[in-house]
Amino acid sequence: MAPGNFGVKLVTLAGFEADDTLEQDAQLVQQCLQGDGSAWEELVRRHTRRIFNICYRFTGNGTEAEDLSQDVFLRVYKTLGSYRSAHGGFATWMTSVTRNLLIDHYRRTKRDRITDSLEDAMPVVENKESVGRRPDQQLLLGELSHQVQTALTKLSPELREAVILRDLQQLEYNEIRQVLDVPEGTVKSRINRGRIELARILQQMGVRPS
Amino acid sequence: MTWTCELTEARLSDYLDGLLSTDERHAFDMHVNACAHCVPLVAGVSHLLTGLRSIEQIEPPPQLVTLILNQTIGPRETKKGWRLAFGWLNALASARFAYSAVSLIATVLILLTASGFSLRKPKLADLSPVNIYRTADRQAHLVYARSTKFVSDLRVVYEIQSRLSKDNELPTTPETTMPQSAPGKAPGSTDGTRPATPNQQNRANGIGRELELLAMQVPLIGSALSGRLLGRRIP
Repeated sequence: MAPGNFGVKLVTLAGFEADDTLEQDAQLVQQCLQGDGSAWEELVRRHTRRIFNICYRFTGNGTEAEDLSQDVFLRVYKTLGSYRSAHGGFATWMTSVTRNLLIDHYRRTKRDRITDSLEDAMPVVENKESVGRRPDQQLLLGELSHQVQTALTKLSPELREAVILRDLQQLEYNEIRQVLDVPEGTVKSRINRGRIELARILQQMGVRPS
Repeated sequence: MTWTCELTEARLSDYLDGLLSTDERHAFDMHVNACAHCVPLVAGVSHLLTGLRSIEQIEPPPQLVTLILNQTIGPRETKKGWRLAFGWLNALASARFAYSAVSLIATVLILLTASGFSLRKPKLADLSPVNIYRTADRQAHLVYARSTKFVSDLRVVYEIQSRLSKDNELPTTPETTMPQSAPGKAPGSTDGTRPATPNQQNRANGIGRELELLAMQVPLIGSALSGRLLGRRIP
């Protein structure tokens, strides 16, 4: 194996908050606070998919993810007046609310949770962008997604949320620091430990590097 | 730089995210390539990252947005009766649609005019393909003839201008341009002889001759020139 070549692409991940998105979100929030219902509807449509995905990857259960997504938007709607754009983007703030609700949910359901079963998970529809893929690629990706989801639920919540935000939601380190409200060194450490732990779980499940 | 297995594990994400310096990266690579313990670790996490980044977002259930909106701002007003029937008209009240409609109408009007269709006296026969073809053919020939005539007229005007300018640029000498008084004759008095022809008169006569020649060369305007210009003799 050539030095430095381990088959991974060093992709520069872009956070979800481009400048125009930030401005549009801030404008929509202002309109919402003035009682504009259509602005709130637009905000919901813009962020539903992302919030649902975070919830689904964290819980591994479609029904729970749907309920939690509703809870997130309900809380955001009630506390919208406390949002300050100077402290960060709306999406980052909303991700913080989501993360707090997920942790609350995790603690609340700790006793009766069965972490290694996805039997009761509702069927989920893969992204429409996957239509152009070959059937064999589609099958492999679907299988990988399922395996990763199973392995994620075996991670501790601290490591799980760090990996989800970095590698599935593709947030930057400073955005994750804002969401988790911990120092950036802690964020890096959790992401690193989470990745290593996840890789080990996948290897134990029989998923070998290709 | 000495690199260890502990360092490899601690800095693995920095390595994969491209956050190591060149020296650190080199030391990392040197160690991993020689360490049987670190190779599977790095390969496993690399494989995981590639997999994670290829996983696509999941589509939320279609009813989720409606459920959220119902819980927050309440059920939205459902359109009934005539609002439901004519609700689609709201989509037409946009600047983009108005611009498209105006463009379409202008295009249709231009095509109708070009095909000879009279908007003042509309006739169904004007819309038959044969009539449209004949009218379009006639219009095309008419436009071609007009443009040909226009170009020809332009050429004549240009010729006239060039001849005139050429004539104006002829060299003149003081002897020919200065008026000469007869010797022994007082200024202002006449001696009863025929007065000398002025040079301006000679030049005008020269222009008249040029125009005659030009009219002979250009048969299209020959008749017009002979009727207008040549008929009016220059004194």
